[in-house]
Amino acid sequence: MLTRIAGGRVVDPTAGRDSVSDVWIEDGRIVATPDRGPDRTIDAAGCIVMAGGVEVHSHIAGGNVVLARLLLPELGVAEPDAPNPHGSGRDVGLLYARMGYTTAVEPAMPPVNALATQLELAEIPLLDRGGLCVMGNDDQLLQLLRDRESADAVRDLVALNVATSRALGVKVINAGGADAFKDGAVRFSLDDEVPAYGLTSRQILDGLLDAVEALKVPHPLHVHCSNLGLPGADDSLIETLAAAEGRRIHFAHAQFYAYAAVDKDNPLTGGFRSAAPRIAEALARHPNATLDIGQVVFGQTATISLDILRQFSGRKAASPRKWIVNAGDAEGGGIVPFRYRDRGPTSSLQFAIGLEMMLLSPDPERTILTTDHPNGGPFTAYPRILHLLMDKEARDREVAAHPKVAAERSGLAAIEREYTLSEVAQLTRSGPAKLLGLTDRGHLRPGARADVAVYRDQADRTAMFARAHRVIKDGTVIVEDGEVVAWTRGRTLQLSVEADAGMARRTESYLQGRFGAGLSSFTVPDAAFPGRRADEPVFEAVACRT
Amino acid sequence: MTAWIDGRAVERDAAVAAAAELLAGARSPLVAGLVAEAAAVQVAYDLARTLGASVDPAASAAIYADLGALASAGAMATTPAETRGRADLVLVVGRAPWASGLARDLSADAPVRGRAAGRPRTLVALGGTGDGAVQHVAYPAGEAGIPAALGLLRGLVAGRVAGPHPLADLAARLRDALYGVVVYDPAEIGALGAEMLTGLVKDLNETTRCFALALGDPYQGRTAVQVSAWSTGQGPRVGFGRGRPEHDPWRFDAARQVAAGEVDAALWLAALPAPLPAWAGTLPTVALLGAPTGAEARVVIGVAVPGETEGAALWHPGRAVIAWQEAGASAAGAPPSAAATLADLHARLAAAPPRRSAATSELSASC
Ligand SMILES: [Zn+2]
Repeated sequence: MLTRIAGGRVVDPTAGRDSVSDVWIEDGRIVATPDRGPDRTIDAAGCIVMAGGVEVHSHIAGGNVVLARLLLPELGVAEPDAPNPHGSGRDVGLLYARMGYTTAVEPAMPPVNALATQLELAEIPLLDRGGLCVMGNDDQLLQLLRDRESADAVRDLVALNVATSRALGVKVINAGGADAFKDGAVRFSLDDEVPAYGLTSRQILDGLLDAVEALKVPHPLHVHCSNLGLPGADDSLIETLAAAEGRRIHFAHAQFYAYAAVDKDNPLTGGFRSAAPRIAEALARHPNATLDIGQVVFGQTATISLDILRQFSGRKAASPRKWIVNAGDAEGGGIVPFRYRDRGPTSSLQFAIGLEMMLLSPDPERTILTTDHPNGGPFTAYPRILHLLMDKEARDREVAAHPKVAAERSGLAAIEREYTLSEVAQLTRSGPAKLLGLTDRGHLRPGARADVAVYRDQADRTAMFARAHRVIKDGTVIVEDGEVVAWTRGRTLQLSVEADAGMARRTESYLQGRFGAGLSSFTVPDAAFPGRRADEPVFEAVACRT
Repeated sequence: MTAWIDGRAVERDAAVAAAAELLAGARSPLVAGLVAEAAAVQVAYDLARTLGASVDPAASAAIYADLGALASAGAMATTPAETRGRADLVLVVGRAPWASGLARDLSADAPVRGRAAGRPRTLVALGGTGDGAVQHVAYPAGEAGIPAALGLLRGLVAGRVAGPHPLADLAARLRDALYGVVVYDPAEIGALGAEMLTGLVKDLNETTRCFALALGDPYQGRTAVQVSAWSTGQGPRVGFGRGRPEHDPWRFDAARQVAAGEVDAALWLAALPAPLPAWAGTLPTVALLGAPTGAEARVVIGVAVPGETEGAALWHPGRAVIAWQEAGASAAGAPPSAAATLADLHARLAAAPPRRSAATSELSASC
């Protein structure tokens, strides 16, 4: 069937396109303007037409997401009859789709819990999904590095973990930090040693950066640095960027590191000010680097992280006063409920810093919008955040209601920039798609997947982005006027990577010795998803870089 | 033979049709047991949503002891493999960890990872002595029971209880350990005990490392907890009677509901062994069983035994995660899986919607 999305303002920065025109779809793909008439026309007059949104970092599946729901049942049923971003996978799919998002990545899939994470991802309807495999605190990798095994061995172990867990990429979370925590540490930085292995965090990071490059994983190593959220954390990010030595690197939720210590001699007691200019400047000088924001949103949330050292250190700020820290087979996880106090001094400053980072961005494709859901707040805040980026007046009104400290310690108030629709598309579409190496989405050029969001052009950008007029996934209309009209199931994107047979044998014997269960216990076979029809496979392969 | 109606063997298809009819005609059905692979538990929740049924896993008693403590106090826990690899002190609480064999297994080796590597592992027991084969030091829980003893121990560890006390020496051992692990069975010590235990473990982490390790239940309860969390956003005892899932561990207790006459039909799912509830013989019930005799309920359908006659995603007690388990050697001739059977049933019910139709719940979920 040939479909014409007619007469909308089509915004595709990858093609330099921002004009009223048509988008054509056939067999689930965008096609060039054909020489015949459409079988179906979707009227987009008065609308903005963009590619479907792409999420790179949102905690939407996995053991810690499950535990967060059980720790804070009240959060998931705040409004009983409304879908809830802290609720079921079905609600998550619906709420993303309603905003015009069609792809979302869970960034923290531990290989030891890959099967449950993948089962959960598969139950998020409407979207294509993916998971990043977390390494950097697991004993097998740390042993290889400690024993100075070859870079090839490290590469092979990473490949095996990605293939076995059916991941889309690789993430490292405070490399070595969880191990250090298990041995009693509560502070840990890039050049600190993991006591039992005699390895620094830098050495682990270095090994993983090399492995991801050697494997030609499209998504660069996804890095959660040490010292998240502490005054002076900007030093951690900048040191880690230097440690990458030009290799591609992605910084997760960078807002939580854009905190310069006010008193350099007593960083932990003097509070923090915005380091957004410093990070923007570093990003401009390092084309190998990308980041996502981790924008803070006011209100109650749960922080979910595999950085158990950091979560343990933050336990006393838990609100309500209950928290989880699990020492897992590698990282485990920590869940600390947190309330970003509405217009509180600290949360207002965090809020300002996130916006400042995006507004100072030298390249919106490399400063991707996230809230690190649910860590900075729910992903459902995106429409409001986009509104503030696009509208200086609305921003001034918002900031005027915040305590003065936010304006004094950040540069937000002085920034005149207003995001254009093309820049919004870079921030939420083309940037994240390029970052994940998904060449078939994030744009509307012929050959792209027919994932399209159509928004009614309104001055109230919050309302515009909150409920899309139409959302099309693989050529099927799934949302009309903000309501789901077709419950399609989407696919889970996995990287095509060959595992080395020799490393598989070594790992088999390692796992047997450690768990009394071999590699087959760690797999994610198609047979685990028997509810899916054969012509509707759960997984879709993504090729490595050539 | 894999299907029966009123104790008489029938074609499988006839039994599935009868099951669909029985459930579609119910005003207030119950889906219970869920002693099965993750895929079957998933379809069971989907089916319950379509039926407007309530759901209650066989493992609920054990599950809710832990979930109650979790929702009030949080947790600080570790895994069986990290316990084996790192623990220099294991405190065994109650009887169940001895009966399960875990305590004995943990006594067989010593820490090899982390700062305790090279140290011996000491086993100590509170409120239950183990078998004579395992060397350990036993501390009595006292007449007030295990939760009270854990509370006292917590006070001693935090220095709130002073002076000579029979448990003072145990408190000192816990403080001195580098990686202590407290092993318990939530079903044995209850929510109050689990909450005390969590408090104790958290306090110890002010100065050292100590974690809780809960025994799993034998009925795939931890699979049900996870599937429920991602399918409903909540714990496993839910009702879909109003379209959207409502979590209420008291209201949706299957035994209570049956006793109060609140349900008029049931689906019992036990692809793995579990005690059949008494109501299966009195309430109009469809039973999906891995080892059926045919006499268990009005409609009985045999299903594959997950991890034996069919590969399956199951709770792995040694790894404490949902893990893939290959089929054993004797898979030939086994009946279809519980997941496939439930999917068949679900398709029939969706085609001829019961009172609470799929369309209604779809609508309510998207409004
Ligand atoms: Zn995150």
